[in-house]
Amino acid sequence: MRTKFDEQLNQLHVDLIKMGSLCEEAITLAAQALLREPGADPQKVFSLETEIDQLEWEIESHCMRLLLRQQPMARDLRSVSAALKIISDMERIGDQAADIAELTPYIADCALQNKLHIKDMAKEAVSMVTGSVDAYVKEDLDLVQKVIDQDDTVDALFNQVKTELIELVQEKGTDAQAALDLLMAAKYFERIGDHAVNVAEWVEYSLTGVHKSSEHHPALC
Amino acid sequence: MTKRIFRTILATSFVVLLVGIAVIIGILYPYFGGQLEKELENEASYLSLSVEKDGVAALEQLPHSSSTRITLIASDGAVLYDSQADAAQMENHADREEIRDAMENGSGKAWRQSDTLDEQNIYYALRLSNGNVLRISSAQRSVVSLVLGVLQPLLWVALLLIILAAVFASRASKKIVAPLNSLDLENPEKNDIYDEVAPLLTKIDRQQKTIRQQLAEAKHRQEEFSLITSHMSEGLLVLDSRMDLLSYNESALRLLGVSEEKSSYVGKNILVLNRNEAFREVIESSLAGHHSETLLSLNDLSCQIIANPVLTDGTVAGAVLLLVDVTEKTQREAIRREFTANVSHELKTPLTSISGFAELLQNGIAKPEDTKKFAGRIFDEAQRLITLVSDIIKISQIDEGHLPYTAENVDLRSLISGVLDRLRPAAERADISLSLREGNASLETVAPILEEILYNLVDNAIKYNKKGGKVAVSVEKDGRQTRIRVQDTGIGIPPAQQQRIFERFYRVDKSHSKEIGGTGLGLSIVKHGAAYLGAQILVESTPGEGSTFTLVWDSTC
Repeated sequence: MRTKFDEQLNQLHVDLIKMGSLCEEAITLAAQALLREPGADPQKVFSLETEIDQLEWEIESHCMRLLLRQQPMARDLRSVSAALKIISDMERIGDQAADIAELTPYIADCALQNKLHIKDMAKEAVSMVTGSVDAYVKEDLDLVQKVIDQDDTVDALFNQVKTELIELVQEKGTDAQAALDLLMAAKYFERIGDHAVNVAEWVEYSLTGVHKSSEHHPALC
Repeated sequence: MTKRIFRTILATSFVVLLVGIAVIIGILYPYFGGQLEKELENEASYLSLSVEKDGVAALEQLPHSSSTRITLIASDGAVLYDSQADAAQMENHADREEIRDAMENGSGKAWRQSDTLDEQNIYYALRLSNGNVLRISSAQRSVVSLVLGVLQPLLWVALLLIILAAVFASRASKKIVAPLNSLDLENPEKNDIYDEVAPLLTKIDRQQKTIRQQLAEAKHRQEEFSLITSHMSEGLLVLDSRMDLLSYNESALRLLGVSEEKSSYVGKNILVLNRNEAFREVIESSLAGHHSETLLSLNDLSCQIIANPVLTDGTVAGAVLLLVDVTEKTQREAIRREFTANVSHELKTPLTSISGFAELLQNGIAKPEDTKKFAGRIFDEAQRLITLVSDIIKISQIDEGHLPYTAENVDLRSLISGVLDRLRPAAERADISLSLREGNASLETVAPILEEILYNLVDNAIKYNKKGGKVAVSVEKDGRQTRIRVQDTGIGIPPAQQQRIFERFYRVDKSHSKEIGGTGLGLSIVKHGAAYLGAQILVESTPGEGSTFTLVWDSTC
């Protein structure tokens, strides 16, 4: 009786890992395209994004079926509801990776990227996404904390990139269009970092039953 | 079992109880009837005395009793008195059985269903001395009504007995089952209880022995398997159809880059180890029943993954994954491809020049005074080709290890001075001084190859030197180590490139290679030659100051 339920939970787990790895790939490719690394193809990011959207829809209906038909309790209920939250954050990560990929053709000046700290930002954001997916896969609370801490680094880097861009536009008269596009890209990376933190927090909730936000909303416990 | 025994005992007691009651009632009923008859007889004889004395009046004085009916009948059968009915209206009683008997014999009795009362009546009649008959009757209740009468006490007794029976049954059943419950199943043969259970125990004992044997065998096989797999350099992963790990070895974890082994991964999903898309696709395809392979780049390893489905009865029960480290193979393949491309390129460059100059000569475009110059260029390029091809032949010979040389005892000092002598003209042209420092040693080695190595090293030291620079060669024997050092004061090699200089056709400064000449194979020949001779080659270099190449032999004896 329950074995079927266990199997469905297992399938949910596998699908989430799959979605996570697709997100990782999308953001990695987008970062590579932005930094003009050889072999990077922004087109692939778009097809990945479609795949991520499709998977989100599938996982969502899977979760709904589980909730309605099996009425999971306690830990199982937590993992299903956390999965519902995680996929919406992952879907946003995929969208933003596609947004970054969309920007790349407009940033013609490839020398500009290397002058800024956007490379570090991209690296940090990619590692945050990988970290949050890893935390889910390995059910590791230390990794959750690591991702949450990393967000501060990305935020600081965003401010740094912003200052650098202002300086470049004001003093050296750099192409303002490219500068704005780069600022957008930086903002996307910053948002991706936030989503990675959300994913990590939901992983923590599914493992411990305590969500970060429960300090304000005790009903979640 | 306890319950069943309990129920059986209880049911038996119940049946015994019922039968007992029925038997007792059956015995008691006729006994009561006899008793009643005797009582009636006595009563009639007492009454007859008073009736003979006082007549009917004696009877009328008697108190009315409902249980006993007294009737006085005249000798003609007419009823003179009845204690329960009006005598005048009663019919003639002469033909009644008991009356007739009494008139003839003095007394008579009868059992009869009473007309007036719905009871079984016992009649007793006694003939008086005046010929009248005195009849006394009493109602004998039927068996059913007798039982009904004693029903309540009987029920109480039955209830009490049943409770008692239940208590005893429960105790007895527990007592019977207790030894079965306390059986020592670990050592079934040692139990000493019911004989009926003994065959069962023997069977259990036999089966336990078989199970122990099979378990030990399975454990042994498992240990054997894990011993084999843990010593494999290839990674092995066994999955079930749900992608959960059934078994794995340490090599697999190492190849997948999973370093920390916190707990066992058995039963966990394989995607926990790696969630690369190519990896997942291979697993999915193998679980769909297809043999599949892929090359995976993990960290800095190249890993070939071979996945095979495991089929039982035509359905996929899981998959076996074999992970092979092909990093070296991939690298070697890359080097070989690069070498082929380089060789073709290096061969094509001089051939293009030769073809171009020859074409000019053929068409007669060249002025007669230039003919000699062009022929000289063709000659130079042809020389370059010859050197290149002979270098390539040398490398492949050393590479293959098929060299027609034998090792002999070589005096290193004389060998080195021979090499230096051959290169002196070139050194003088470049304004570089060659020197051989003090010291000597002899070595069991292949002279032509060592000569080739040193020629290339000194040649390089001259080529990549500054004007007025120096090249110094020294030989040392220090305990078990023999060292030949070629030191120059040249341009040096940047640290980042020191590892790559031994690669075929690698040039530190590509833009000037044409001026300096050479094939780009010199140091590659040195590296392969040194390996053939069993020597180590060390490089120390500071850009702008010079380089030192050292050949080191660790003699084993």
